[in-house]
Amino acid sequence: MPTRRERLLLLTPLALILLPFLIWPAVFGLLASFTNYAPAQLQVHWVGLANYASIVGDSQFQVAFRNTVVFGLTVPAELAIGFALAYLLREPFRGRGLVRVILLIPWLVSPIANGVMWHFLYNSQIGLINFGLAWLGLAGLPSPLGAKGLALPAAMLTDIWRKSPLVCFLALPGLLAIPRDHWELATLEGASSRERILRIALPRLRPLLLTIALLLIGDTLGLFDTLVILTGGGPGSATLIPALYSYQQAFQVHNWPIGSTLA
Amino acid sequence: MTASWSTQQHHRRQTRVVVLILAVAVFLLPLVWTLLASLQVIPDDTATPPAWTWPPSLASYLEIGIAEPGFAQELTTSLGVSITATALTIAISFAAAFSLARSRFRGIRLTVQGLLVLASLPVMAYVIPLNDLFLLLRLHDTLAGVALASTAVNTPLAVYVLYGYLKRGPAETEESARLDGASITQILWRVTLPIVAPGVAATAIVVFVLNWNLFLIPLVLTAGHVRTVPVAMSDFFTFERELEWLTAAAALITSLLPLVVLVIAAHRAIERFNLGAEQEIL
Repeated sequence: MPTRRERLLLLTPLALILLPFLIWPAVFGLLASFTNYAPAQLQVHWVGLANYASIVGDSQFQVAFRNTVVFGLTVPAELAIGFALAYLLREPFRGRGLVRVILLIPWLVSPIANGVMWHFLYNSQIGLINFGLAWLGLAGLPSPLGAKGLALPAAMLTDIWRKSPLVCFLALPGLLAIPRDHWELATLEGASSRERILRIALPRLRPLLLTIALLLIGDTLGLFDTLVILTGGGPGSATLIPALYSYQQAFQVHNWPIGSTLA
Repeated sequence: MTASWSTQQHHRRQTRVVVLILAVAVFLLPLVWTLLASLQVIPDDTATPPAWTWPPSLASYLEIGIAEPGFAQELTTSLGVSITATALTIAISFAAAFSLARSRFRGIRLTVQGLLVLASLPVMAYVIPLNDLFLLLRLHDTLAGVALASTAVNTPLAVYVLYGYLKRGPAETEESARLDGASITQILWRVTLPIVAPGVAATAIVVFVLNWNLFLIPLVLTAGHVRTVPVAMSDFFTFERELEWLTAAAALITSLLPLVVLVIAAHRAIERFNLGAEQEIL
C-alpha cells in the first residue's frame, strides 16, 4: 500500500494535464455561455440566460437539435449490430483473434476520411450503389447526400458503418468473461439462442453496454467532422447538428458566446 | 439423440461461419472499393455488363505529392504528435490509475466513473476556451501544444481502463517488495508494470489510434504551421477545390495503412483491451 504522500504524488501529473487543458476550459466554456465574452475583449458582461434564449428561438438551432435526436438513433443501432457481431465471435475458432481485429478496421478510418470516402462512394459515377444497380440493368441514382430527406439517413449509415465494429471489439471481452457452464446449462435446459441472449448475455453485459453507450453518445454529440465533409450541414440544413452549428458560429461567424452556448 | 444434437451443433457452426464471412465482407467492402480506386481500378457503369478499368497503377499515390505538397511532412507531424501524446497519456494514466487502484477512500467509485464522463465530453464543448488559453501560453500552433491537448483528451479514458487492470494487479507482491525495502518507483517499474504490461500495451494502441484520428484539436489549436493528416485532408478537400477521387483514395489509404499494420501486427496484444475490467471489481 503506497503512502498517502506517494499516492498524491502519482496523481499530480494527471491533475497537471486535466485541470488546465480539460476541466478549466470546460467550466469556463459553460460560464462564458452566460456572458457576452469574446477573445481579446476587456469588458465582459453577465447576460444570464440571454444566449440560451437566443438559440432556443433560433430556427436553425431547432433544426439542428431535431437532427441530433434523429442522429442519436445511431447509438442503439451501433450497440445492436456490435453486440450481434460479438455474439458471433463468442465461440473460439482458428483465427478468431485476426477476424476480430480485421472487423475493427472501419473504426480506424478517421471521421474526416470517413466523410471523404462516403462522399465518393455515394457518388453517382464511381460509387458502390450505382455499380450494383448497373449490374441489375438499372439506371444510376444521384447521391443521397444531395437529397433533403435522404441526406441525414445516409450520413447516419456511414457512422453506423464506422462505429458498430468498435462496439463489437469492446463488447466481446464482456461476453467471453461469462463462465462457460452458464451457456452449457442453459443449452441443456433447452434454451433457444434468443433466450440465452436475453437471460444470460444481456444482464451480465449491461454495465459494459452502458459504458459503451455513454462513450458513443458523447462521440455522437460531438460528431461534426464527418458531416462537415459529407454535407456541410446541407442540403439546406437537413444534416445540421449542434456541434457543427456551433463550429460554424464560433469559427466562421465569430460569434463566440453563441458557439459555446450551443456546445 | 447424441448424433442429432451434434449435427445440430454442426449446422449452427456452419451458419455462424457464413454469417461472419458476410459481415466481414460488408464491413470491408467500402474500404476494398477505396483501395481499388487508389490503384486506379474504378467501375465503368456504362459498359454492359459493368466493368472495371484495368490495369492497376500506382500513379495516384505519386499524385498526392502534387495535390498536397506537404503530405509527407503532415504524415511525420501526425506520427510525432501521436507518439508523444500516446507516451504521455500512458505514463500519466499508469501512475494515476495505480494511485487510485491502491487507494481506499469514499467516493473512489464516483471518481472513476467521473473519468468516464470526462472521456465522453465532446471536444467542441471546451475547445474554444482552450484555444484562448493556448494563445495566452504561446502554445498555439506548436507541436507541444497539440500533443498536450491530445493528451488531455485521451487521459480520462486511459486512466479508467488501466484502473481496471491495476485493480486486479499484484497488490500482495507489491506489499512484500515494499517490506524488502523497494522504493515506489522500483515497485511500479519492476513489480507492477511487467504483470499488467499486456493491458498497458493494448491501451496504448487504442490511444494511438484515437490520437492519430483527432481532428478538432489540431484544427482549432493550429494556424497552418503545424498540420496533421486529418486537418490536411479536410482542408484540401473542403476549401480549395473538389478533390479528385483517385488522389483522395490514395491519400486515405496512405493515412489508414499505418494503423492497419499496427493493429494487425499487434493483434495478440490488442485482444487484451478490456473496457469493462473496472466493472468486474466494483
